[in-house]
Amino acid sequence: MRLLILALLFPLLGHAEPATVIRATELKSEPATDASTVAQLPENSAVEALQRQGGWTRVKAAAGEGWVKMLALRYGGPGSAKKGDTGIAQIFNVARTGSSGTQVTTGVRGLDEEKLANAQPNPAELEKLNNFAVQPAAAAGFAAKGKLSAHEVEYPK
Amino acid sequence: MNRLVWLIALLIAAPAQAQFKLPDLNINKLIDTAKGVVKATREIDENEEIAIGSDVAARLLGAAPLMNDLRVQRYVNNVGRWLATQSERPDLPWHFGVMDAPQLNAFAVPGGTIFITRGLLEKMHSEAELAGVLSHEIVHVVRKHHLKAIQKGALAHLSAGAAGAALSNVNSEARNKLVAFGTEMYSRGLDKGDEFEADRLGVVIAARGGYDTYGLPAVLQSLQGMNAKDSAVALMFKTHPAPGERLDTLAAKMQPVLDSYSSQPQLRERFAMETKAAR
Repeated sequence: MRLLILALLFPLLGHAEPATVIRATELKSEPATDASTVAQLPENSAVEALQRQGGWTRVKAAAGEGWVKMLALRYGGPGSAKKGDTGIAQIFNVARTGSSGTQVTTGVRGLDEEKLANAQPNPAELEKLNNFAVQPAAAAGFAAKGKLSAHEVEYPK
Repeated sequence: MNRLVWLIALLIAAPAQAQFKLPDLNINKLIDTAKGVVKATREIDENEEIAIGSDVAARLLGAAPLMNDLRVQRYVNNVGRWLATQSERPDLPWHFGVMDAPQLNAFAVPGGTIFITRGLLEKMHSEAELAGVLSHEIVHVVRKHHLKAIQKGALAHLSAGAAGAALSNVNSEARNKLVAFGTEMYSRGLDKGDEFEADRLGVVIAARGGYDTYGLPAVLQSLQGMNAKDSAVALMFKTHPAPGERLDTLAAKMQPVLDSYSSQPQLRERFAMETKAAR
């Protein structure tokens, strides 16, 4: 029930997802290294991942709720089946089976290897793409509206 | 005098334009081939890169068209252009496009064109996640990963003369082959090392742009949770290292940068507003 309420409270964050901690991890009361430790989660503990904040993810574990380092999590834990096919393949199959059994071109299959191999230039779409372009000054204004500020960060060695 | 000396005398005396047909030897062709080798192995200049990229982009758009929504297209261009401005190649003619395809993928084309699919956009939760993916693609362009692979492929698959012509002559048959090869490269994928580099440096570009640096790891984590056999991710999984491996590599190499900038904005609400049409 509590999970359901959380899911309703955070509709943009997605629902709880089964996950596993890939190494022994401290479950923290807040998303910070110096926060108090709720519990020690052993390697391969199963948790429900709820919400990310920076490098931390809020999880529900058997030992309680709290925050773990997000990079310590992998989704689709042991025993929890990963979600199946999104159904795109089935749509393709419909598009591919005409009465002749050969591929028909009316169905929208999106982007796959076959499409890439047989692609012909589409200059009309290229022109549209060019028209969508944004100039740096406009992009800087857009960034300022989002309170994004640029700073210098070096590449790692 | 023997025959050889006669031949040399003839070669010296003849005007340069003349065709010398020796048995199994065409001197003009040899000279063209030599020029082609020089052209195909030297560094491709920026104008050529942009022209090749434009041809490849037109082909990719032949495989999947753009989403017909000005708002989402402008939004992705704003985010992308802002990030590209933080890169080492801010002055390229950067273009960003959302392709109307349900699969999850993104492509970087030489010269500054970047595509992301509607399927991948749907899977994201914030502008920081979008920024993470676009930054990864921007690194491919900045480091010329695809351009170098196209050039290498041109040398391996075309004769040296044809490779040279393909790079400089936009209307040649060789050019068509080169562009078709360049487009198919998105089915084969780059070297793993290029992908890991794009992940590492992409995190830095996102940090420079002021975004929460965990955007890219968050997307990788979402992908990692998907079934690898799902046809929506089949092509992307085939052409990239496994998401779990990419996350491990980022954790090992980028933890300090990731943590220094993790409290920067994620912009969930703006992302949700501006990408409504894609979901």
